[in-house]
Amino acid sequence: MEAYINGMACIAHHNVIDDQYFFEDVAEMPASNNLMAKEPDYKAYIPAALIRRMSHIVKMGVSAAMMSMKKAGLSQIDAIITGTGMGCAEDTDKFLRSVVYDNESMLTPTSFIKSTHNTVAGQIALLMNCSGCNFTYVHQNLSFEYAAMDAMMLLMEGDAENVLVGGIDENTPTMYELFRRHGLIKLHENLQPIWQTNTSGYVVGEGAAFFNLSDKPADNCRAKIAGVKCLQELAGSASLLQRVTDFLTESLTMLSDIDLVLSGNCGDAEMDKRIAAFNTDCERPIGYYKHLCGDYFTASSFAVWLAARIIDLQQAPKVIVPNHTIKEPIKNILIVNHYQDKQYSFLLVSAR
Amino acid sequence: MQSNVYVTGMGILSAIGNSVDETFESLSGSLSGIGKIKYLDTLHKDTFVVGEVKMSNAELVSKAGVGNYNRTTLLAYLAIKEAMLNAGLTNLTDARTGLVSSTTVGGICHAELMYKDFFDEKTNENFINSYLSGISTNDIAALIGITDYATTISTACSSSANAIMLGARLIKNNILDRVIVGGVDTLSKFTLNGFNTLMILDTEWCKPFDENRKGLNLGEGAAYLILESEAEVRKHNKTPIARVVGYGNANDAFHQTASSPEGAGALLAMQKAFKVAGIKPEEIDYINAHGTGTANNDSSEGVAMQSMFNGHVPKFSSTKAFTGHTLAASAAVEAVISILSMQHSMIFPCLNRHEQMKDLTITPVDVLEKDVPVNYVLSNSFGFGGNCSSLIFAKK
Repeated sequence: MEAYINGMACIAHHNVIDDQYFFEDVAEMPASNNLMAKEPDYKAYIPAALIRRMSHIVKMGVSAAMMSMKKAGLSQIDAIITGTGMGCAEDTDKFLRSVVYDNESMLTPTSFIKSTHNTVAGQIALLMNCSGCNFTYVHQNLSFEYAAMDAMMLLMEGDAENVLVGGIDENTPTMYELFRRHGLIKLHENLQPIWQTNTSGYVVGEGAAFFNLSDKPADNCRAKIAGVKCLQELAGSASLLQRVTDFLTESLTMLSDIDLVLSGNCGDAEMDKRIAAFNTDCERPIGYYKHLCGDYFTASSFAVWLAARIIDLQQAPKVIVPNHTIKEPIKNILIVNHYQDKQYSFLLVSAR
Repeated sequence: MQSNVYVTGMGILSAIGNSVDETFESLSGSLSGIGKIKYLDTLHKDTFVVGEVKMSNAELVSKAGVGNYNRTTLLAYLAIKEAMLNAGLTNLTDARTGLVSSTTVGGICHAELMYKDFFDEKTNENFINSYLSGISTNDIAALIGITDYATTISTACSSSANAIMLGARLIKNNILDRVIVGGVDTLSKFTLNGFNTLMILDTEWCKPFDENRKGLNLGEGAAYLILESEAEVRKHNKTPIARVVGYGNANDAFHQTASSPEGAGALLAMQKAFKVAGIKPEEIDYINAHGTGTANNDSSEGVAMQSMFNGHVPKFSSTKAFTGHTLAASAAVEAVISILSMQHSMIFPCLNRHEQMKDLTITPVDVLEKDVPVNYVLSNSFGFGGNCSSLIFAKK
């Protein structure tokens, strides 16, 4: 299965919607343990009357979707598939909080209506008047991967020529508190470059990345998703290196063909042990990305966007490859992601 | 491409029973499971009637015997165990096996109880685990030993229809040999109050497809099917209980919560399902409608059915007056009911209905019908966000 990326757009901590920007101003040390997305001027993408009724995640998702459509030069799409680890966290929390604190009385439906996980996909369908296939995956760290796999399957089935697929998650104060108290977030004073840490916790992020995928490349297409694999658990004795090698074989590639690995190190020394070993064992140039976007359940969608940009520009930002030089041409980028040393995923992004 | 997708097992817990057999007893006895709230601790205890699974959390923990999981995980686990038993499955590692679950609110029934203490008393540090939707899928994958393909879908009230559809597609595309598919949702203050603010809850028994319907009754439950490829069925010489032959997913693209008056999305989902199934509309013997009992749904769905079948709508009913609306689980619950209908040649009635809907020309089955050959069933499910899905099951 493979799918050409005919358009894409990303909203993340840095000004990534600017085509000229490529992380020139970013340091190896994350600036904060909480990387909120830089929001675009939503008015350019969403009718003004709708913006104020949309929550943060819906605005990010819908505008990234619209930007991707514009890049692809399309106004219609055959299917919309989203992945979100936490869904509409802000509205879910708003309604939950009032149920709990207002003792189930004097409630209004607004936040309940907008709390369902498929709100972003539904709003995009509504705005584009798209009656095609509409799916939302909510499987934590693998949400975007499963959305991408579904999109590729739809293309293979011949039921769709153009599919819009995206990953979206929002970082709200409540969610931050939930993760912090669970001991998952890195303390500010422990911030280190994510590839050389000896402390626990990760840097939190949020964002939206959308892709117009097709079985046929458009003229301006530069990259394709050439393979996706999700592992619910790294079971048995097989090493990460072995599982990656198996995946690449299925995707008709070899490890030696990989020009760059985008490694999902999150900066938690204990949780990154296995991926750090892989980074050494695979003997390929390693790049890191979670100091740019932070860690969130759909951070791999940021990584796919980054990989496609690198292939397009034929260069990687200096700040992601601290110890390596990459040989050109850059044709194959392997993304290896994990969350808390569980739910590993592999994505292969290749030149078209 | 693999052609056939077989159902080799099913399991269910809902207001009308804690097993497939109990479910059939209630359905064939026209016994609804909807009643006064007993287990959910809510201010609205005496206001609304709901379809609760008739077991407390402690009883579920003890019945499942796998540890102290929340209600969502336990219901799903128990339904999956029944489905596996039913399919004669003990070993899941002999074939590429996946799990596709679905839910709208995951463990929120638990989260809402921990919320205050988490924020005010600074306790319940593991709160996040009941907040995330996919956690019950993770728990179950770990309990039954699925290590590769496990995912969770959330498309509001059509969720488990999409789980069944995805499972069928994964088998057809030769990605997996066997998929456990279905959904779970538990009653919670969150959903009860949410639907209450929308003013679409009936305080009495819901009356799907009745002119004077006042809204839905919420329910809870879990239902899962075991889907297997033809090769697996042959290899183990299994006798399937049904086939998934058609599926369609479309978006109504009309409103965040309401369905379009003409049921455009519903019609499209049905049309797609027929295209995949390759059968004619007149071959359908029974439609298990979404039929929530809200003014909007039943009218929109009814109009869509009239358009789809061009005036010759087959026998249909909504079984939500038995189970209540089990949200993400509803399509899987109704898949089990559809298969029971085919197995027992019965059409289960639309309870509580008295008056013909004025904006429809069609009338549902009101009284249990026996000895009716049912070879093909169409089942509809629709949800917030415009999500519409239709499934077609075949007896053989």
